[in-house]
Amino acid sequence: MREPAAPLCILLVDAVTERADALAQTLAAGGHRVITHHGESGDLATAVARIEPDVVIIDVDTPDRDMLEDMHIIDRERPRPILVFTQDDNPDYIRAAVRAGVSAYVVGDLDSRRVLPLLDVAIARFEQFQNLRRELVDARTALADRKPIERAKGLLMKQRGMDEEMAYSALRRMAMERNLKLVELARSLIAAAELLTP
Amino acid sequence: MGQGPQHGFRVAGSDAPELAEVRLGYLPLTDCASLILAQQLGLDRRYGIRLQLTREVSWATLRDKLLGGAVHAAHLLYGLAYGIQLGIGGPRREMSVLMTLNQNGQGITLSNVLRAAGITDGTRLAQQVRRHPERLRLAHTFPTGTHALWLFYWLAAHGVDPQTEVETLTVPPPRMLERLAANALDGYSAGEPWNAHAVQTGMGFTVITSQAIWPDHPDKVLATTREFTTRYPRTARALIMTLLDAARYIETTADLNTVARRLARPEVIDTNVDTIFERLRGEYRDGLGHHWQDPHPLRFFGDGAVPFPYLSDALWFVAQQRRWGLLDHDPDYVNLVTQVNQTGLYAEAASALGVAVPSSAYRSSRLIDGRIWDGRAPELFAARSPTGNRHERPVALA
Repeated sequence: MREPAAPLCILLVDAVTERADALAQTLAAGGHRVITHHGESGDLATAVARIEPDVVIIDVDTPDRDMLEDMHIIDRERPRPILVFTQDDNPDYIRAAVRAGVSAYVVGDLDSRRVLPLLDVAIARFEQFQNLRRELVDARTALADRKPIERAKGLLMKQRGMDEEMAYSALRRMAMERNLKLVELARSLIAAAELLTP
Repeated sequence: MGQGPQHGFRVAGSDAPELAEVRLGYLPLTDCASLILAQQLGLDRRYGIRLQLTREVSWATLRDKLLGGAVHAAHLLYGLAYGIQLGIGGPRREMSVLMTLNQNGQGITLSNVLRAAGITDGTRLAQQVRRHPERLRLAHTFPTGTHALWLFYWLAAHGVDPQTEVETLTVPPPRMLERLAANALDGYSAGEPWNAHAVQTGMGFTVITSQAIWPDHPDKVLATTREFTTRYPRTARALIMTLLDAARYIETTADLNTVARRLARPEVIDTNVDTIFERLRGEYRDGLGHHWQDPHPLRFFGDGAVPFPYLSDALWFVAQQRRWGLLDHDPDYVNLVTQVNQTGLYAEAASALGVAVPSSAYRSSRLIDGRIWDGRAPELFAARSPTGNRHERPVALA
């Protein structure tokens, strides 16, 4: 028996009751907390908001899946891994979907021997994908931030006769004193300069 | 290419599609009619392909199958095609919109509870929103999708901010009615037959049709990945021709009752024929006692005006996604839609069939709030707040 890394709160969405029960048992035996949800038991979105699961496992053949799409938009800060299981035996598309970072897909029945390791793999992949995405956003932000900072530096150099290094450290010092991000201060400075220049 | 389609369009030699079989995914809705007819009548064979249709139950799964290559192309919400292109709340991939599959024929349904309270139009709904602190729960079918945008536009046209003054959420159409009946929803924006179904079962009423929000608005599109269009341009063209032929057949030749019958089958929409048939032929009952022949019913062809993938249509969806913050920056609008909407490939396919191609990729429409949409200055439109003003952009002050 393997030890689970940390117990997870799992929301299981499956219209087929027997299958859901069997799966829930396996997951619970692995040390996880499992809450099952059927199409008839109300809004899935509401359930997710209330339960705040660490991971959602959902049957590909339920239309309820679309309800989870809102999570990625509203909940940009805290996306959750979604494990989709399917009887559809087309490994190529599933591999491609996983590569695209869509969701983790699992083929065939989720039997007890496979489900726990699969869960770990899915979560690891999800985190990897989220990190990549975050790095991309950070890189874009850094690039976008550079422009106003350069402009603000230019303003100080021109109007206060500072050299580049002096201008930069003046900006940094002022930002720290006012508890602002460097780029925020730079923007304010530019706005103020625009206001004061006829 | 001298032979008309009625004799079968012969493709040979270098013109032959690269793929013999095209897998096409769809959701069971009245507006998937041209796909179903194309396959059932064997129109695909005329253009050298064989369609394999797969019905899906959720847009997310259809999207995944398209991106994973399990289906080559899909009957897709216009906004979803662009949502994927822009990576909004999900995977990002270069997309191609090959043609528009239909105009009109969607709608917004409200509950009997609201009707009993006298809330039977947008103005009264807006008054209700202002008077009562408890937010109404209104559903649509996908966060980046068409039905969300019709709902948001309609609410905003009545001065209601869809993001703060009501609660909006995604609910798959097959679940909407039961939620409405259980009082868990106050209304929903969806495609047909789901609005007609609410009226016929007496569980809700149609407060507005989508064509009353925007007469002859674009709706579903035939979409694929850019990779597919690049690798298989002749197959993509054959696919456009097949569905164009089917669209023309539905509007010029077909008996609409037979079309409704084909759609109502258990393996397609699985409902009764009348629920589909009435609104398919433009006959509307709203459940409030009104009964009319709609001047802008669901249509597939319009002598070539419907299927053309107008750039101005695509710009509307992107501008609305920007307006509601689904998109967090202004893209290079014109460049974006020019790359996605395959007007050139479409024109080739249409010309080969003798179908008229509009002379401009921009068209002008007047929407419910009186605004003219012609695709010009999308960034100005995108920056409007619900009341029509420009959003205040946050300005950091020292």
